[in-house]
Amino acid sequence: MPAAADPACKARISPRKPFPWGFRLIPPIETFPPVLSFAQTIPGKLLLLAIFGKLLWYAHSEWRQLIILLAIITALPQYRRILLTFGTLLWACGTWWQSTGHRLLLQFPIVLIVAALLFWAATRFRQSWFGRRPVASLLSGFALLVLLASYLPTDRHLRTLSWDFLAVAGTYLWFVAYSLLDSGSKNRDPFALQVGTYHPFWGSTNAPFVKGAAYLRRIEAHNPEQLAIAQLKGLKLLTWAVILGFFLEKAFMPVVHGYLRIPLYSHLFELSIQRAPFPWYIAWASLIANFLRSLLQISIFGHGVVACCRMAGFLALRNTYRPLESRSIAEFWNRYYYYFKELLVDCFFYPTFFRYCKSHRRLRLFVATFAAACFGNAFYHFFRNLNYIKELGFWKALAGFDAYIFYSVVLAAGIAISQLRQRPVKTTSWIRGRFVPTFCVISFFCILSVFGATDKRYPIQACFRFLAHLFNLAS
Amino acid sequence: MERKILIREFIEGLLARKEDTQPFSDEASLFVSGRLQSVDAIELAVFLEEAFAVDFASTGFDQEMIDTVDAISALVEGRSTRE
Repeated sequence: MPAAADPACKARISPRKPFPWGFRLIPPIETFPPVLSFAQTIPGKLLLLAIFGKLLWYAHSEWRQLIILLAIITALPQYRRILLTFGTLLWACGTWWQSTGHRLLLQFPIVLIVAALLFWAATRFRQSWFGRRPVASLLSGFALLVLLASYLPTDRHLRTLSWDFLAVAGTYLWFVAYSLLDSGSKNRDPFALQVGTYHPFWGSTNAPFVKGAAYLRRIEAHNPEQLAIAQLKGLKLLTWAVILGFFLEKAFMPVVHGYLRIPLYSHLFELSIQRAPFPWYIAWASLIANFLRSLLQISIFGHGVVACCRMAGFLALRNTYRPLESRSIAEFWNRYYYYFKELLVDCFFYPTFFRYCKSHRRLRLFVATFAAACFGNAFYHFFRNLNYIKELGFWKALAGFDAYIFYSVVLAAGIAISQLRQRPVKTTSWIRGRFVPTFCVISFFCILSVFGATDKRYPIQACFRFLAHLFNLAS
Repeated sequence: MERKILIREFIEGLLARKEDTQPFSDEASLFVSGRLQSVDAIELAVFLEEAFAVDFASTGFDQEMIDTVDAISALVEGRSTRE
């Protein structure tokens, strides 16, 4: 589960072969001494911000607010963490909650107060059961509250209030979990600074980008040169995001779904549910196109977020790093959605690995991998969309989650086996050493994605039916 | 001192497997710098459990605790002092 490689750093360890004749689409400007020196001057910073702002204009609808916050943080690096908290609070109240569709501003301070109390309790009572297992307690407590709320009578005001609170609490759940993990550190940040990492203004999903306060302390730029490097790398990454965005919008979608007329995967899946006939090769084409589109989308999103984080002076690792080069399932999992994987490692893998089955090396790794990639993964996704539970009730929603549970089990088994089989890289032929493993890994994730839909929940029978279509077995 | 040498030797072995033969100081970051990765963190932690009886179940685990040779040494020393 901790997987093969921390993405952005892999290049440092085994310098990748350059593109023919050493050409790189985006040059490593942070390694050019004149550029690095210029980026530390006031005109250099202004120019950096101007270019970054222009790229944000392409990439982000709220580019104005973002560039203003980034400019303030660039101007006052000594107050970076405090400004991060202020910026995040302003962002949450002024922009982010407005765009989420449910304006639950009243619930937001209540959630913060509860989080502050939990943080204080975890710090104050280190030796209590809660102090020793703060994240497990938090997650169990949240699950219990959701279960109780699902039993409240539908016509009661209390039910509405409970679900409104849980909706906001669920959004911040994993951010609070990182704070609780940090509560045990000797040099932990005070709660006021922890708040800056709760859906920070640079963007995030419910899986914290970029982890929590402890990680930010480690990656923060501590001098002008480090800040310049972080910002130049941020600029490069945002450029990548814009290029990929253009590629997706202007080339991939028109060619694949327009010129080649490959149907959208969601559309084809609906046809499969309605038992409408379509050729098996169309199913494959649509599945592969959907897989590639997902890769592009997550890369664009992740690059944009990490670029803003770097521009703020934190040299964070990339979220997605060359996933199509992965030679093992564990490596792909690490390269595809790094911050989600890290969340599962920190909250599920490490606690399990260091507590259970300590005398059996392989079993220990297997159990910890299942705790993270199977249980943790399914837990995260089940409680991410509370509307299903609210509408169907807890147990019916859980029963309807069978496809994703199956996905998690197969994924965890794949990662565990991949880790146990891990061997040192040997120099073999390109076909055996590179092509075959990469092809197998991509095929595994591509086929498994039939069961891994998270935006809409399909019954497992429908997923198996589509799988049968792929192999021309469905009537 | 001998403890530090053992730790260094183990880390050198981990780095050598990645064909990384660059020298590193006792204060040099291993994980945040990206020279070692999370899978190595597990191997290093298991080594510390077996060689020095460090119990991460009671202390909790964070990569920061084992990011430098000095940090690892302090972690092991702290455990010995408590004993």
